[in-house]
Amino acid sequence: MFKRSDESLIEKAIGGDAKAWQQLVSRYQAPLYYFGLRLLGSPDDARDLLQDVFIVLCRNLAQYRGDSSFKSWLFGIANYRAMDMLRKRKNTTEFTEEHDFYDDEAPSFEQQLYGQHTQKLVQHQLRSLPPEQRLVVELRFYQQFTFDEIADQLALSSNTIKSRFYAALDKLRTQLELADVEQSANF
Amino acid sequence: MSNSQQIFEAWLAGKITASECEEQLEPNSEWHDRFQTAQLLQRQAKAPFFAPVPEVDTMSIFAQQWQRPAKSSNWWPKLSVAFSVLALVVSLSPLELQMQDSGLTLSWRGGQQMQQQQLETLLASYRKEQQDYIQTQLQSTQQQQASQLILLKDYLTEQQTKERRTDMLELVEYLNQQRQSDWHYWQENYQPSQARLDLGSSQNTQNR
Repeated sequence: MFKRSDESLIEKAIGGDAKAWQQLVSRYQAPLYYFGLRLLGSPDDARDLLQDVFIVLCRNLAQYRGDSSFKSWLFGIANYRAMDMLRKRKNTTEFTEEHDFYDDEAPSFEQQLYGQHTQKLVQHQLRSLPPEQRLVVELRFYQQFTFDEIADQLALSSNTIKSRFYAALDKLRTQLELADVEQSANF
Repeated sequence: MSNSQQIFEAWLAGKITASECEEQLEPNSEWHDRFQTAQLLQRQAKAPFFAPVPEVDTMSIFAQQWQRPAKSSNWWPKLSVAFSVLALVVSLSPLELQMQDSGLTLSWRGGQQMQQQQLETLLASYRKEQQDYIQTQLQSTQQQQASQLILLKDYLTEQQTKERRTDMLELVEYLNQQRQSDWHYWQENYQPSQARLDLGSSQNTQNR
């Protein structure tokens, strides 16, 4: 089926077309929620982030000029709000609670068996990274942005983004190795 | 930027395959480890994520921000206002709304005498209006007649002057024609005799 471009949906939404707005929301609802879930680690926080980002988006819809892709612009908002939430959380209480994001009613048993264990392990290790590094890994691997796009979104240099990215990879490697050793010892 | 970093970034950008990258990074353990971790993360990112996405209400804020309120088609408030105005007019005017013999009567307050008085006032005003109208019409007719008479007089005077002038011109022309014919007559009949007479008298003088 013919898929309308983000720009066309924005234009229609600005003109008051509720369907176009709903379509735009549906298009980015899942990516934004999973982004929040991975970055913040809590479904409630991810939901709050989702709501917050859509409110900001709605208010600033007319400010999108098309200089970058809409997705990149939207994630620029999401990054800012997520980092803000993480900063506030750090100021109040350290987040230690473990959340299980995975729905028990997953589509196939095979997928659950193969993926969930590794996914949980990787997610767990990702959450132990500093927020800035976690954000870069999220944007590079899960959202498929280039280093230059991430640099634009975070208003940083490309080199800073790369150094955070490689630092995150090194740290993850060490943590995954440690986790593997612990698992082997338990057996 | 090191050569290994360039190779790694080329793989990330999709310019070379994973096996090519792995082969080229094999000698450099630091970059090889990074490549393996990145590969694991890439696989994880591609794996489906099953957590249900919650519904968030964005329509209310959208409606508030971008949708203009539709014109209300409810006519009850308008009807209510209209009846209120009517009630106000009825209460302020000498109109009276009465329930009589299981019927509703709208009548002038004050009864017959007031009606008679108002009728007389209306008739007087009508009479005056008519008189004024007749007076105005009369004046207008008189003025019209006077102006028409002046126009007629001017026309007649002008016509008379024109006729007189034409007569004079005709007379002058006639006289001119008469003079011209006299002159021709004289030339034809008297001029040769005169010439002869003149010649004869001059010969007599010479003979003497």
